[in-house]
Amino acid sequence: MNLEGENIPAVEGEPVACSLIAAGESMLARSVKYHRPRGPYCFAEACSHCLMRVDGLPNVYTCRTPAREGMKLERQNAFPSAKVDVFETIDWFFPHGLDHHEMFAGVPVVEKVMAKVARQLAGLGLLPKEPAPAPPPSRTLRTRVAVVGGGGAGLAAARVLTDDGVPFLLFERADHVGGRLANGAPESGAPAVEDVATLAPDSVHLRATALGLYDDEHGRYLAVGAWEPDGPRLLKVYAERFLLAPGGHPPTVPFENNDLPGVYAGRAASLLLRRHDVAPQVAALVGWGAELYALAALMEDRGVSVAAVVDLRAAPPPGAHALATQGSEPKAHGLHHVTAFSFATSSGERRKVACDAVLVSVPVSPSFELARQGGAEVGFDEARGLFRVVADADGRTKAKDVFVAGDVTGGGTARQAAEAGRRAARALVGGLS
Amino acid sequence: MSKSLICSCEDVTADDVRHAVSRGYCDVESVKRYTGFGTGICQGKSCLSAVAALLEKEKALKPAAVVPFTPRPPLYPTELRLLASAPVDESAPPLGGVPEAVEDYTPALRPTEPLPAKAKVVIIGGGIMGLALAYNLARAGETDVVVLERGYLCAGASGRNGGGVRMQWGTPALVELAKRSIDLMKGFARELGINVWLRQGGYLFMARTAAVAKKLERNVTLHNRFGVPTRLITPDAARDIVPGLTMKNCVAASFNPEDGVIFPWPFLWGYAQGARKLGVRVETYTEVKGFDLSGGQVRKVRTDRGDIACDTVVLASGAWSPEVAKLAGVQLPNEPHRHEILSTEPLKPFLGPLVSVLDSGLYFSQSMRGEIVGGMGDPKEPAGLNMGSTLRFVSRFAQALMEQLPHVGHVKVLRQWAGCYDVTPDNNPILGRTPGLDNLLQMSGFVGHGFMMAPAVAERMAKWMATGESDELFTRFSLRRFSEGSIEREDMIIG
Repeated sequence: MNLEGENIPAVEGEPVACSLIAAGESMLARSVKYHRPRGPYCFAEACSHCLMRVDGLPNVYTCRTPAREGMKLERQNAFPSAKVDVFETIDWFFPHGLDHHEMFAGVPVVEKVMAKVARQLAGLGLLPKEPAPAPPPSRTLRTRVAVVGGGGAGLAAARVLTDDGVPFLLFERADHVGGRLANGAPESGAPAVEDVATLAPDSVHLRATALGLYDDEHGRYLAVGAWEPDGPRLLKVYAERFLLAPGGHPPTVPFENNDLPGVYAGRAASLLLRRHDVAPQVAALVGWGAELYALAALMEDRGVSVAAVVDLRAAPPPGAHALATQGSEPKAHGLHHVTAFSFATSSGERRKVACDAVLVSVPVSPSFELARQGGAEVGFDEARGLFRVVADADGRTKAKDVFVAGDVTGGGTARQAAEAGRRAARALVGGLS
Repeated sequence: MSKSLICSCEDVTADDVRHAVSRGYCDVESVKRYTGFGTGICQGKSCLSAVAALLEKEKALKPAAVVPFTPRPPLYPTELRLLASAPVDESAPPLGGVPEAVEDYTPALRPTEPLPAKAKVVIIGGGIMGLALAYNLARAGETDVVVLERGYLCAGASGRNGGGVRMQWGTPALVELAKRSIDLMKGFARELGINVWLRQGGYLFMARTAAVAKKLERNVTLHNRFGVPTRLITPDAARDIVPGLTMKNCVAASFNPEDGVIFPWPFLWGYAQGARKLGVRVETYTEVKGFDLSGGQVRKVRTDRGDIACDTVVLASGAWSPEVAKLAGVQLPNEPHRHEILSTEPLKPFLGPLVSVLDSGLYFSQSMRGEIVGGMGDPKEPAGLNMGSTLRFVSRFAQALMEQLPHVGHVKVLRQWAGCYDVTPDNNPILGRTPGLDNLLQMSGFVGHGFMMAPAVAERMAKWMATGESDELFTRFSLRRFSEGSIEREDMIIG
């Protein structure tokens, strides 16, 4: 691939951002307001750190765009370049932030200049230069059950539906099924990934992103953006039941310099390592919950040197990584890339370790959006600090045709997600006429 | 420089959230709007729970009051060309809309302190009309005013519009009001201490038929009479203003360089903060449940937080006005009509004016943040308080927009939403006294352009209320006109 004139080696089909990290190019952009250096964080299209101009198109998620030979990559929102961006001074001039509501409000002349400057600085990418080719016409599909998500919960449900002979269509955003079974840190007791070939033929759609759960005069339908050999196609999928198992988004954990290139979501780190064999040399891990420790074990197992494992919520459980400790006030250090990580120990002193990556592993934020659009109730889980879809043990929600399973209901183990998927599938089959 | 980012798409820090709370914006919807968190490319996927947890932990919100902001489709950024590929049946009305029941506010959000037992003036509706009126009344010396808002500030049309402000209207009254409003908007930051980002990039109207072209021609004469520099321009001149614009099927265009776009939300915060400083009470999450009437007067306003005895009530509830008026036994001719709108990924500046095809109601502009913001009215939209989003709208809009600007096919939509126009039979507002209920004043019926009229209308109305001097605006647009038949129809409605 070509990154602003430089050749970047890549494995065909791996995410563009993965190739860039492997080539040592982790700063992919400058942030919208303070022009802070940004590198990929979530590898789940859930943040904006990895957006680049790709083959002339602005704001492309490089974390999910497959690498192709000759691809042209450009960093955005920087002058003269992302590596030396004069607007980085905004970040330095406003250490405590810049209040765009009140700054220079009503100051004669200055406010006009500010408005002009702000207009020029705003926005990320540049408008594409060419008109877009029209995609093939949208297609309307009808099925009995539409399943969103091919992770542990969605696949377990698909197995039940296949065995019961209930027609269904499953839509998975990634180019492979499994979700965290395939990409996460391995969990003990986790089920094996279902072999798609043993599921009902033509029922599983990969690279098919659920965009919204809409309704019209014909009833409720899922809008899906599906990648087909001749380009993207819009699908309208009407179904009698919707089983939503989209999992969750890797959340931001607010701490100092949490956006520095080299800071990754835990699930991004495990995905890079397990699927693409890309890993840091020395990693500091921070977060809470079972996945944090599973990730530490995975890293250690694969030869990554673990410099720290800091639990922000509780004392490490028995059998945790030898360096695991409870801590607070984490901070990433480095100018344009992580060079160190520090935290306050429980005795109050600050400890600093050198590393080239900080891995943030916390429970994912349930992706409740589609369920909410379908009329399900969403509640706040105080203990875990996240929103989740309210459902009974069989995944029933307030909307009678909308069922949920897995991380979308608030998290748990992969085995629990699979069990929930099975239960929801059985419950919704029972309700079908 | 060390910063603790909570929303990295928009560079919002944890301290920015705390600052919003210190300004009184504590609920998730308000914090979203004040800080901008969750409005970027990821639409809150990575930041929403972190912000909610912070608000709960730092006691800005009770746990039961922690509700997520409304998730808007599409779930992931989606190219306009893909959305345009869905067929649209123009002969059928748009039905449905998601999410359902978005306007059920949990009682946990309701403030716990008591309302005042009485007030001189109670204004129903904390949109720009009500807040601008409250501020102007307070400036005129009347500070014993309570504004009642059933949701958060910006929950209604004032927070849902596209931010266009223009002087290109079809009747003298609206041209004059709009001109004054834009003047007031220019001085807003100086007066109220908050930036509203007025950008006078002009409004470019396009006409596809001779009849609509004639309208534009008539308007130019009218506008010039009021000192508004609108001019008819050729298709070539239009393309000079907007590079890449196709003038397909367009026979004429008009352009006023002094029209523009603003950022709507700070107007509400500015007016609310300005009014509060002068002693006005602005009460959010407070719903009007009824009225005590006697002797041809409203005596009390009943709310879900208690009753307020008052001398004057102002009905400024936008699309909800007919519902609220009905509680007082008053029948308004207004009807709510859903209007949908969307916003795209942020792009570097490429579009100066707001562009509108008058025949179809298509309009689009580029916001100060770089997003393409636009909508298009649906002639088949049935009346009703529906604020759900449809795929039909994004498809219709994408098709119409790509016809005028082919280069936007790859541009991705980040979110779509809807608001309600408050539509009257002659597309003009209802202002002034209510026949049979002397102290109930009307301030509604602005048909989607109330935002840009509010600064001027509120100024005139406050003066009229405070001084008792007569003002023709409040007879011209009185509720009586519909029974008396003296109506003059406004025909420059878009969106």
